[in-house]
Amino acid sequence: MALLEAKNLTKRFGGLVANQDVSIGIEKGSITAVIGPNGAGKTTFFNMITGFYEPDEGEILLNGKSIKKLRPDQIASRGITRTFQNIRLFKEMTALENVMVGVHSRLSAGILGILFNSKRVRQEEERTRVEAYQLMEYVGIAHIANEAAGSLPYGLQRRLEIARAMATNPQIILLDEPAAGMNPRETVEMTDFIRRLKKELDLTIILIEHDMKLVMGLSEYIHVLDYGKKIAEGTPEQIRNNPNVIEAYLGKSASDVS
Amino acid sequence: MANLAWKSFKGIPLVFTLIWIVAFSAALYLMDKSVIAFLGILSSIVLVYYTNASKTIKMVIGAVVLLLIIPLVAGENRYYMEVASQVGIYVAMALGLNIVVGFAGLLDLGYVAFFAAGAYAYAIFSTSQANEFIAGNLFPLSGEWFWPFLIVGLIVAAIFGILLGLPVLRVKGDYLAIVTLGFGEIIRIVFNNLDKPINITNGPQGITPIPSPELFGIKMGTPFYFYFIVLFVIAFIVLANIRFEHSRLGRAWIAVREDELAAQSMGISLLNTKLAAFALGASFAGVVGVIFAAKQTFIDPTSFTLMESIGILVMVILGGSGSIPGVVLGAAFVTILQVQLLKEFSNFLHGLQNAGIISLPNQLDPSKFQRLIFGIMLILVALYRPNGLIPAKRKKNDLDAIKNSEFGKEKLGILGRLSQLTSGKQS
Amino acid sequence: MINILPQVLVDGLTLGFMYAVVALGYTMVYGILEIINFAHGDIFMVGAFIGTEVLLISDALGALEGMNPFVALFITLIIAMVLTGALGVGIERVAYRPLRGAPRLVPLISAIGVSFLLQDLVRFTEALARNEFYLNSPALFTGSIPLGSIATIPTKGLIVIVIAIVMMIALTLFVNKTKWGIAMRAVAQDQSTASLMTINVNKVIMLTFLIGSSLGGATGVLFAQNYGTIDPYIGFILGLKAFTAAVLGGIGNLRGAMIGGVLLGLLESLSGAFMGPLTNGAFGAEYKDVFAFSILILVLLFKPEGLFGEAVKEKV
Repeated sequence: MALLEAKNLTKRFGGLVANQDVSIGIEKGSITAVIGPNGAGKTTFFNMITGFYEPDEGEILLNGKSIKKLRPDQIASRGITRTFQNIRLFKEMTALENVMVGVHSRLSAGILGILFNSKRVRQEEERTRVEAYQLMEYVGIAHIANEAAGSLPYGLQRRLEIARAMATNPQIILLDEPAAGMNPRETVEMTDFIRRLKKELDLTIILIEHDMKLVMGLSEYIHVLDYGKKIAEGTPEQIRNNPNVIEAYLGKSASDVS
Repeated sequence: MANLAWKSFKGIPLVFTLIWIVAFSAALYLMDKSVIAFLGILSSIVLVYYTNASKTIKMVIGAVVLLLIIPLVAGENRYYMEVASQVGIYVAMALGLNIVVGFAGLLDLGYVAFFAAGAYAYAIFSTSQANEFIAGNLFPLSGEWFWPFLIVGLIVAAIFGILLGLPVLRVKGDYLAIVTLGFGEIIRIVFNNLDKPINITNGPQGITPIPSPELFGIKMGTPFYFYFIVLFVIAFIVLANIRFEHSRLGRAWIAVREDELAAQSMGISLLNTKLAAFALGASFAGVVGVIFAAKQTFIDPTSFTLMESIGILVMVILGGSGSIPGVVLGAAFVTILQVQLLKEFSNFLHGLQNAGIISLPNQLDPSKFQRLIFGIMLILVALYRPNGLIPAKRKKNDLDAIKNSEFGKEKLGILGRLSQLTSGKQS
Repeated sequence: MINILPQVLVDGLTLGFMYAVVALGYTMVYGILEIINFAHGDIFMVGAFIGTEVLLISDALGALEGMNPFVALFITLIIAMVLTGALGVGIERVAYRPLRGAPRLVPLISAIGVSFLLQDLVRFTEALARNEFYLNSPALFTGSIPLGSIATIPTKGLIVIVIAIVMMIALTLFVNKTKWGIAMRAVAQDQSTASLMTINVNKVIMLTFLIGSSLGGATGVLFAQNYGTIDPYIGFILGLKAFTAAVLGGIGNLRGAMIGGVLLGLLESLSGAFMGPLTNGAFGAEYKDVFAFSILILVLLFKPEGLFGEAVKEKV
């Protein structure tokens, strides 16, 4: 059974059908890419999986249980987390604190415990700081732990956002254009990093990306959306040769793909 | 250049602060009516904050000024103690609102409703008013009930906060400001009219005489005692602010303030987090409400208008939204401006008028400048200092302590999978 | 009870049309800048004072003597609209424009500041000039028109309604038919794209404030005519109600604001008149503001896009 199953998802905004009858299954420990031209409905799909939009029709199953009606925070606590296309950090907080926020739902400190600064709360806080710092080391940004997140350069912000997402201890991580705005060297680093996440941490990864080199080199399986509908799925090899896909990307990208 | 000078500013020398305190204490002791000397002593607290000395020393000096020097040199003067305890009441309220506006970023324009809830809770049950709707002629209560009612006020206001918050906090962004404003007005109108069908609040006539606090038979009705009661409550609220600021809850508040969507995808429940801020802010206002009722001995709905809510908001924004020292400074500054400086200025102008130098229509009395001054302050702060006089700063964590922590011996959280996987491979 | 109903409806309509025109100002500014122009209610108040002063001064000079009341009202309206329009543009320039791009709370705080400032400035000016800040407006229209045998419509109420409708039609035509009106709609939809299409966004925003504020100012003049007495604080609560009307109709939506205003006026008038009798006097007209605010809260909770607005989903 697939770890995550999206069945026949449909989402409409007024007259616009952003996703129509989209079904995607995700195997545990896989790297899956969702691609398609601009406006194909990729981010809408992510937003349904993470609970920001409720699908009009269809079903979303995580380990066989429906998560369709859950709020984003409930879905996050059940092990699906994400990054955003337009990086959304908590800018005023330090980088370390951003990562600590990710640990939130696994902490238990309540109002009275915090008020009286109980031993349990103090230990929990210390442990959280250590956990956040370890994550920053893993992602390679421990040196900026005390910087305000908003003041970091773009590349570091991307990494910090991933570290923060990892802090929720997810099973599945959704990356929305992780290499957007990066130069070729940074893109290669990001590719290696995502591969490491899967290999070392057994994470299941779903990504949206426009950089075809990254997509083809990294993903094991690819789903293609166009005008809200799924037009193809398969291994990178199959997608590369799929006439529908080439048509959808007509001209410009078609030559890139082949 | 100016910036550089500011950066290299290490703080005021300790000696200067001490001389300042001694000088103004002596001045106030010798010249009983010197307003300047009194303000000098109050502002010495700000000086202490900026003094170049260790935290412990600063806390000790601050405590000595607040607990010993002010009561000793100004304690005889009822008026000064009155001003000091009023400043204290607003500092406490502003610190409560700071949790809602400063930390959680929820613009609450109906905050005074919770203050009213606490004040009415004590007023109704400590006077014979409660007999109107509770049979058995059990009331009024004695002043000793003031102390348990600090807790009752806290709980009543917190319940109010949760009941109001449950619907209101589902509303987003700017709309929240309008909705809380509406709710604040609703509560004031309800208090103003709840003398029928059952007389609960005595309507516009208000409630009196509310008993002063009593402890071991000592009546504590003078500003001198209230000064200490308020100081005690402020200490508690400041401590709460500090602890919440860097806790799991405080981080969640700031996360929600900065980006609701990202906060949710980190597993933070928006409603619960906002509700916690709302209820905590409300509960502090409730406690202060009880003190206010006991201090005034009379309350009516006119003490709980929108102006009050806005005034407290001005204190928070001016001082520095989310910044504990900033909010204390903002509250003290605005309150002194209102109760003392404007009055002094007004007296001064009246003096000139009596001497025949100027003629001043009654409507132009500076003590009526309140809205004008609030208005100008809000605009100027928004334009030139949106983060307030003392902007909030996040504490830097001690990275060495983290590296040396016992917890660092093993990989935590998701990284725990690292060792599992490798040990799996080894076996 | 039923025999007062027509009168209650007429009062409600008069009030409702005033809400509707003020609501237009809120909804236009929100549609374009996404800020609640808290000071809009006070611009309405300033309009009421300017209008009343114009009439009082003309009266003192004897200029109203023998003048056609319609001409007098027309001149007063024009003066008030020009001045409040300029005031609105000035407020935008000084208190809002520097804050574009700042966190959302900041312009709101500045707006509250402007609101307070205007209230006290008017109070001081009047206190200095007239030694009091409650003004009684000279009444231009005193007659009333019988409506069958069941109710009478005061002429001033009818004039309020007619002028409000004229202003609404004019605004609708402007927004839909003129070049600038279309530019306004474009900016409301997408500021950056509009600016790429060589629309001068700053000019459009100025225009929005100019029109919204002058409509508000004109309503102030009508208010003073209809109710007689004004003070510097009339704008705050009326503004809040008008904002409620804008939310009720769907903020950003002109037609919605108009309908929302009329609806709110009617509801308020009906609740004020009938809540007392219906609850045996337990809850009377003093709760009519509670009623209006409750509507605001209920709409925001259950239909935040308003009765006529489109659901907008936050961009993720």
